[in-house]
Amino acid sequence: MTQRSILLQAHRLLRRNQLAQLGLLGVFWAAGEAVSRATGLPLPGGIIGMALALALFLAGGLKVASMKRGANWMLAEMLLFFVPAVLALLDHRELFGLLGLKIFAVIVVSTTAVMCVTALTVDLCYRWTEHHDAGSAVA
Amino acid sequence: MTLAALWREPLVQAAVWSLATILLYLLAKRVHRRWPRWWLMPLAVAPALLMIAALALNVSYRDYIRGTHWLVALLGPATVAFAVPIYEQRALIRRRWPLLLAGMVAGSLTAVATSWALAYVLGIDGELRLSLLPRSMSTPFAMEVSGEIGGIPDLTAVFVVLTGIIGAAVGDIVLARLPLRSTLAKGALFGVGAHGAGTARAHQIGREEGAIAGLVMVLVGLMNVALAPLIIQFMK
Repeated sequence: MTQRSILLQAHRLLRRNQLAQLGLLGVFWAAGEAVSRATGLPLPGGIIGMALALALFLAGGLKVASMKRGANWMLAEMLLFFVPAVLALLDHRELFGLLGLKIFAVIVVSTTAVMCVTALTVDLCYRWTEHHDAGSAVA
Repeated sequence: MTLAALWREPLVQAAVWSLATILLYLLAKRVHRRWPRWWLMPLAVAPALLMIAALALNVSYRDYIRGTHWLVALLGPATVAFAVPIYEQRALIRRRWPLLLAGMVAGSLTAVATSWALAYVLGIDGELRLSLLPRSMSTPFAMEVSGEIGGIPDLTAVFVVLTGIIGAAVGDIVLARLPLRSTLAKGALFGVGAHGAGTARAHQIGREEGAIAGLVMVLVGLMNVALAPLIIQFMK
């Protein structure tokens, strides 16, 4: 088998098989981890892997279809992967009292503020540019 | 082998707790689909039930996470998965990146300023206050910044997770109250305010929102790691 036909086979497998697509996500992650360790960059492997995948999509070296179904499944079930991390609270009994209540208050109020400010900033800029575009289109 | 000895076997523990985590998550998801209240969200209900089980069976966090760490590790490949929605929305992102940048800067400044001020008002000080500052980024970034500015990275990781749970719920409420016109704003608020957990929620709301949230989450993390030295200056 020539190299070209092996590549073609691999692409066909990837397009059909969701499990193979999940494996491909894992490969990019592992590559990202390797780059992160080799260069000592303070970036997690997942982010470097994402940048690699994005670069390959943009360069045309990899079709989005060969990752799409696996990626959609991963993103839909992503909340599951956060569940075990929450149990770290078991090691911080000091947070189950007044201090915990105060910290809860800080997080709720601050997060609400962050979300409102972010959303309003983006939305007001959006309306302004829309208005601006509409104005210049008329003129 | 007696049943008690079998129960102490690490492999059995790992299998039991992994299975319990997955099943309780699936159950919580079903319940939430049936009764969509914010306080019934799977990310709050599943860990609460697991915590009760762990306390009842006298299992420590170390024993629990030893068997379930592989689930947390899957966040790595899940991060890679964001390449797909970001690639698909590239035209929108290319056209609108200045808006996203404005939102990210405004949101990050608000996060640091309000956390600091609220902690000050409530009498939370020292390392604890510093540990609260970087909590709206995703964990690896937040821990990096926390160490940099003199907080306790482990504690920051706990605050990050709490912010994710609270943020996914608060985000829904904010979305319902604010008259937002653009999907950009809806995605950005989750990405800046509640990192991965918020992004997962945004992804359930819509593809465009999810893509924007994912992109913004990553960029906010990068921006804050780069700006951490400046934050230190600001606090002196």
